[in-house]
Amino acid sequence: MGMTFAEKVLGKAAGYAVKAGDVVTVEPHFCMSHDNAAPIAKTFRKIGVPKVWKPDHLVFILDHAIPAPTDEHAVNHKEIREFVEEQGIPHFYDVTSKGGVCHQKMCEEGFALPGLIIIGSDSHTCTYGAYGAFSTGIGRSEMAAAWATGKIWFRVPESLKITVKGKFNKGVSAKDLILKIIGDIKADGADYMSVEFHGPAISEMTLAERMTLCNMGIEMGAKNAVCPPDQKVLDAIRGIEKTNEWEAIWADEDAVYAKELTYDLGELVPCVAKPHTVDNYAPIEEVKGTKIHQAFLGSCTNARIEDLRLAADILKGKEVAVRTIVIPASWRVYRQALDEGLLEIFLDAGCVITNPGCGPCMGNHEGILAPGEACISTANRNFKGRMGNKDSFIYLASPMTVAASALKGEIADPREVL
Amino acid sequence: MGKTMIQKIIQRASGKEVQVGDRVWCRIDLSTARDFGGPNCVLQFDEVTDKGKVWDPDKIAFTFDLQAPAHAEKVANNQKIIRDFAKRQGITKVFDVNWGIGQHVLLENGLVKPGDVILGTDSHMNLLGGVGAFATGVGNTDIVASWINGTLWFRVPETMKITVSGTFAKGVCMRDFLTFLVGKLGADGMFFKAVEFYGETIEKSTLADRITLCSMVTEMSGKVGLIMPNGEVLDWLVKRAGMEVLDRVQTLKADPDAVYSDDLHFDVTGLEPMASCPDAPDNVKTVREAAGAHIDQVHIGSCSNGRFEDIAAAFEVLKAANFQISDSVRTIITPSTREVMKQCAEAGFIQKFLEAGVIFTNPTCSLCTAEHYGVLPGGDVGVSTTNRNFIGKVGKGSHTYLVSPMTAMASAVKGVLTDPRDILK
Amino acid sequence: MEQNVLRGKAWVFTDDVDTDLIYHNKYLAETDPKKMAQYSFEYYPGKEKFAKEAKPGDFVVAGRNFGTGSSREHAVYCLKELGIPVVLAESFARIYYRNAINNGYPVLFVKGLSDAIKEGKIQDGDELEVNISTGEIKDLTNGHTFHGDAVTDLEKDIMASGGLIEYLKAQAAKK
Repeated sequence: MGMTFAEKVLGKAAGYAVKAGDVVTVEPHFCMSHDNAAPIAKTFRKIGVPKVWKPDHLVFILDHAIPAPTDEHAVNHKEIREFVEEQGIPHFYDVTSKGGVCHQKMCEEGFALPGLIIIGSDSHTCTYGAYGAFSTGIGRSEMAAAWATGKIWFRVPESLKITVKGKFNKGVSAKDLILKIIGDIKADGADYMSVEFHGPAISEMTLAERMTLCNMGIEMGAKNAVCPPDQKVLDAIRGIEKTNEWEAIWADEDAVYAKELTYDLGELVPCVAKPHTVDNYAPIEEVKGTKIHQAFLGSCTNARIEDLRLAADILKGKEVAVRTIVIPASWRVYRQALDEGLLEIFLDAGCVITNPGCGPCMGNHEGILAPGEACISTANRNFKGRMGNKDSFIYLASPMTVAASALKGEIADPREVL
Repeated sequence: MGKTMIQKIIQRASGKEVQVGDRVWCRIDLSTARDFGGPNCVLQFDEVTDKGKVWDPDKIAFTFDLQAPAHAEKVANNQKIIRDFAKRQGITKVFDVNWGIGQHVLLENGLVKPGDVILGTDSHMNLLGGVGAFATGVGNTDIVASWINGTLWFRVPETMKITVSGTFAKGVCMRDFLTFLVGKLGADGMFFKAVEFYGETIEKSTLADRITLCSMVTEMSGKVGLIMPNGEVLDWLVKRAGMEVLDRVQTLKADPDAVYSDDLHFDVTGLEPMASCPDAPDNVKTVREAAGAHIDQVHIGSCSNGRFEDIAAAFEVLKAANFQISDSVRTIITPSTREVMKQCAEAGFIQKFLEAGVIFTNPTCSLCTAEHYGVLPGGDVGVSTTNRNFIGKVGKGSHTYLVSPMTAMASAVKGVLTDPRDILK
Repeated sequence: MEQNVLRGKAWVFTDDVDTDLIYHNKYLAETDPKKMAQYSFEYYPGKEKFAKEAKPGDFVVAGRNFGTGSSREHAVYCLKELGIPVVLAESFARIYYRNAINNGYPVLFVKGLSDAIKEGKIQDGDELEVNISTGEIKDLTNGHTFHGDAVTDLEKDIMASGGLIEYLKAQAAKK
């Protein structure tokens, strides 16, 4: 009987064939932490093991609040630097122009590779499934234990197969697809499952689009999300692989799935996730005209060069009507945007372009909302108060929808401005 | 008897003949507030006037620059308080989080003319004296009073005259002269006085340099440093603020027989790069003397040295070092305004900075506070081009050297406090 | 004891006490003066617990250029709300001085105070007696005396009204 992606990857790591429901203990290939490496290090010290098991398996990327905006953050960063030096951790992305949002960096720098098992102390670690990795977010204590022991246990998840066909209509993009899926199956619709994306439409997608899809796997409760490690992936990783232990692994044709869904891109419309849950789907017609006070184009979900290009196309030669914050996902993306003249388009349009990082996504930095304010955002969560004040409202949307809305000062249908 | 510039300015604004020491009520040309101080003004105004109307909504401006954009709930809320007030009052001059440092934004938008009396909730408003405006930082009560009546009282200060001659050597600039001056005169060396700057060095200087020079008058306890625009600076100002600038330059310049409390002369030939060492602006040494000091972070920007010319000077140093910076130091550049940021993009600077590992942020005041970008943890040492370095200012228990953009970038290159002449050879 | 004669403990500071040391920039977002008292001198080395330990009626005694730095009025509010009745300093930075006047908050210019502090003639914990109207200051712990000058001119009138807004209201009422 055929095996799913999760069964194959975890089985390979365990050294024996496994099926959904089995519990395995494996050695992760990479352990990613961001600014929370400091509290994790504290927990790690309590365990009593002097050294992390393999320093070159740890990757630290500062991104939540950089450069440090408060005393507490500054002290945090300093503690991380001290830990990095003490443990001899080679993969450390400090506050320099080699940094960016952690998930973006993991993919840019060749850590996200097919068939690897990657854990991260951030729920959107599932993003690297776009590169064919089995990657998942875990808690701080578990991470500290992994540093100490080099092991992590998993219950092999059941799998959800999502087959996607068709082509996007104008104004519709990957974000609209994933918001629709989450809206359909709800926040726990893929609870503890491995979500596999199949189908010709996925093969057509760029890696940036696949990252958007996988990034939001956690919002349906998924353990991990993954796309096939096809030629596009192989081309993207060539020459930058941080390890040669990777292997292009994919589900068997006759794998058995707990659930199967199909989607036709041609049936999608621009949409949003309304406040205050990610599965609160609404097609654009329903929310068009809603007043907004801020537009945010950024985050690990949608701030790659492809996303910025789409937004720049809409904003070119025009001026935004509301506070618009643009935060490229990494300094590499920032520079590419600079080269392509996109940043000048954004500056001329009146946007604030800040340094790559997580920005306002979790109410940490750069773009907090005040009471009564509404923001349309390309990020991945809109829970009450996430972006600042409990009495504020977040609509999640695609870069095109966010750009169109920034122009109008209210939620707008991108098809009307394209 | 001849009048100084400040006397003429106050006479114009009060309609009265004034002597040094007089207290006079002046008409305010522009009363501004930032996202810090601003909400306090709004709440106090509403309370004191029972949500009344401001005297003239066109003479009030708000600039958001401390946390642009906001990263703390309280600040987001404060910014909203200001926006709502502006709407209610019909105040249209609201420069939101996408503009940059207040004084520079006002200047670029043609809202500053020589002789204007301008208030702001920031002690470095007075750097606008670099174009001959009488701008001053005040607390929220003064701002509120001005919103009620459109006037505020001032004591007519003495004026100190400073004449500067000579040309800066390579690697040395106006910021070094400023630091030298702060060291020489001390923290209360200009006590309550206005200062007029003259001399060939001043006359040949750029707008950016004049702003730099006037940006630490506060740190010497001075009221305002004044330089009447001339040459290219005058042309620039006329383009931005209109033809009336020309009138003001004629009518408000000091009389040849004006009386000054001090008459100082300085020659910048032979001046070396200078540093305000921890923990006070007037703890001045040459960079040569302090060189080699351990540093953790370099931050270039601020209202003192965040203009295109400042960033260009830093760029030259980086270029001379083959665009290599030290791994051991975090280096951040914060332009003063969106306009400057664009200029840096067009000049190809941002690209090269990023390639080298330097972070380039959006324009804000942040680097002067323990709020926003580049807070230093206790024990860390920073090098920056801001204008105050008291202990803990940008992070509890941290220390800072204040230097020129060239010295800052040289230090980023070597990873320790460094004389830029070592790199610019 | 007359109304104008105050007694309390001295808290002694150096020259050039910057506003960040009096009230740090990280608390600038606070808009309620009552909530500002708790942050007084939190960043002044050695006196970080001032807000908790100082009692209403205690005095802030400083050298030259007290309050140098920012125009934040918070740096006046915090001491006023804490119950410090007057600040005694050799001199005040001009913006701090203005802010104090605008709030009817008494300041006394005490010549020679800076040197006296350096020479140990007035120390932390000394019991002081201060006559606000005559400016007479007695250090009851060691017998040294000082003289402070109150403000004059327009500033005196503003102080007498209780602050700038009150002064303006009184002026408007006269018309």
